[in-house]
Amino acid sequence: MGKKVLVVDDDPDARLFNITVVEECNYTPLEAADGEEGLKLVKQEKPDLVILDVFMPRQTGIRLYRELKTDKRFKNIHIIMLSGIPKKTFLRSQKALTEFGEQEVPEPEAYLEKPVEPGELMQTLKQILE
Amino acid sequence: MKKHKLLLIDDEKVNVRVLALSLKSDGYDVITAYNGKQGLESFIKNSPAIIITDIKMPGMDGIELLKNIKEHNAGAEVIIITGHGDIDLAIKALKYGASDFINKPIRDEVLAVALKRAEDKLDIREKLKEYTNNLENMVKIATEDVRRKSNFQAKLIKSSSEGIVATDDKWKVVIFNPGAEKIFGYSKSKIVGKTNLKDLLPANIRHFFELEKKVIRQQSFIINNNGEQVPVRFSGTILQEADKMMGCVAFFQDLREIKQLEKDLVHSERLAAVGQTMAGMAHCIKNILHGFKGGSYLVNIGLDKNNPDKLKNGWQMVQRNIGRISDLVLDLLSYSKDRTPEPQICFPNKIAADACELLQNSAEEQEITIFQDYDSLIGEGLIDSRMLQRILLNLISNAIDACIFDETIGKSWQVSVKTTLIDQQMIILEVQDNGCGMSDEVKAKLFSSFFSTKGSRGTGLGLLVTRKLIKENKGSIEVSSVVGKGTVFKVKLPFKAGNQL
Repeated sequence: MGKKVLVVDDDPDARLFNITVVEECNYTPLEAADGEEGLKLVKQEKPDLVILDVFMPRQTGIRLYRELKTDKRFKNIHIIMLSGIPKKTFLRSQKALTEFGEQEVPEPEAYLEKPVEPGELMQTLKQILE
Repeated sequence: MKKHKLLLIDDEKVNVRVLALSLKSDGYDVITAYNGKQGLESFIKNSPAIIITDIKMPGMDGIELLKNIKEHNAGAEVIIITGHGDIDLAIKALKYGASDFINKPIRDEVLAVALKRAEDKLDIREKLKEYTNNLENMVKIATEDVRRKSNFQAKLIKSSSEGIVATDDKWKVVIFNPGAEKIFGYSKSKIVGKTNLKDLLPANIRHFFELEKKVIRQQSFIINNNGEQVPVRFSGTILQEADKMMGCVAFFQDLREIKQLEKDLVHSERLAAVGQTMAGMAHCIKNILHGFKGGSYLVNIGLDKNNPDKLKNGWQMVQRNIGRISDLVLDLLSYSKDRTPEPQICFPNKIAADACELLQNSAEEQEITIFQDYDSLIGEGLIDSRMLQRILLNLISNAIDACIFDETIGKSWQVSVKTTLIDQQMIILEVQDNGCGMSDEVKAKLFSSFFSTKGSRGTGLGLLVTRKLIKENKGSIEVSSVVGKGTVFKVKLPFKAGNQL
């Protein structure tokens, strides 16, 4: 078991699903139920990749994504966005924050919309990490 | 003043000539005649206002002439000239309407006095006539005015879209306008003079009206001729004169159209809410589908690798998501459809306790204590128990969530559920938490569809359905909340206690 993958999602079912996919790929799964806990684990565990949901209580995926992308310490961490929110809504929100004077952030390497096929998630994970 | 025309009659021509001369010099327009017959002809022809005639004349004498003149014109002033000792004749002449008599030989001053009197009388009569004419005119104008005003009022009453009913002092209907015909479904001829207004009023308004003598914009229902319930806004006044009822007037505003519009508006708002938030619903469904996919993925792995744990977890995931989608569909259905309340005999406190028990486990898991405080005066009674159960589950689980979402460290979280009986006919339900509270922004969106602060935990329909159920049961819901301090939902619901059934 090599690389560490952090799953951040408030929906326990989605977490279990994503973790199972991570395990099937022979990566080490970590899990967090909201953005705040996610950030804490990122700092503690330095995962190689984060699978991130958008719509969560406390810290949303939009915020966490921004923090990971703007902090030099985390610049090597890959991110897969996995959400029920369409990609363009996510990008629009990021753009709005940028327009309000925050730092510009790049588009995510991968954006998957729920519901996702396990094969697709698996493929995306492997593409990025290998 | 212009002097009147004057006719002078005497068979003694000299007398006539002398007198005529003197009268002409006084300014009179004098006509002369020398006998009764000639005098009468001249009178008819010239219509003089004053006639001076000798009493004793051959042929038609003065009395005869007087009678004839008076027949033609009762207003003519006739002065009789009498000889000495003709007093009986003079009296007779006065009886026939002569205005005065003067004795021969005619003395100027006596004649002047008689003429003056005649003139005055004519004047007065003239003025009286004028005055009477004026008066008649004024009465005519006033009558016309009154007629116009009453016409105006009649038209006003007739064309008013409000139903107007007026009665006499015995409550018998005297006015029943087309607006009233439309509301009550009776024609005017069936009601006016026959019906007692009290029979047309709804019972609750009737008593109030009799007692208070005045009702302002009271909403109620009347049952019309077709047995329909017509929603109306009623205003009425008992008219009084010196403490005695002289009649009453009642106004009925037909609310059918307004009620229909209100209903249409609510309905279209609801449709718009559903449409606008298709995106919100899509998000919710995507999450559930994701759960299904995950579940079936785990089941497949479990089967392939003969791993009962994965199989079990996967199957549970599928089942959970079946639950989630049924909840969503049920919420959607109950939100988009009108539901008729189904009151039944039950124990509201028991329903509240059951709801708490159902949520007890998930509260304990999060170290939240549920306090219950039920009013023991609420016994068995009539209330829509399904509605009560659903709103309680919704509000209590919301309260638990509010505690879960609270980021304060070391707080002992509490949810309290309280019931209170008011006036034997109203239950107040309070669900309070000391969780995260709500910002004004969240409060403003509280009852909008698919708005949720709970991420995948919420469908954004719970409170919406709760409010709808409460409204359908003619109750109300209020919320007060402070960020970081907590939230209280206060629900008022009508309740019929068992002892009143």
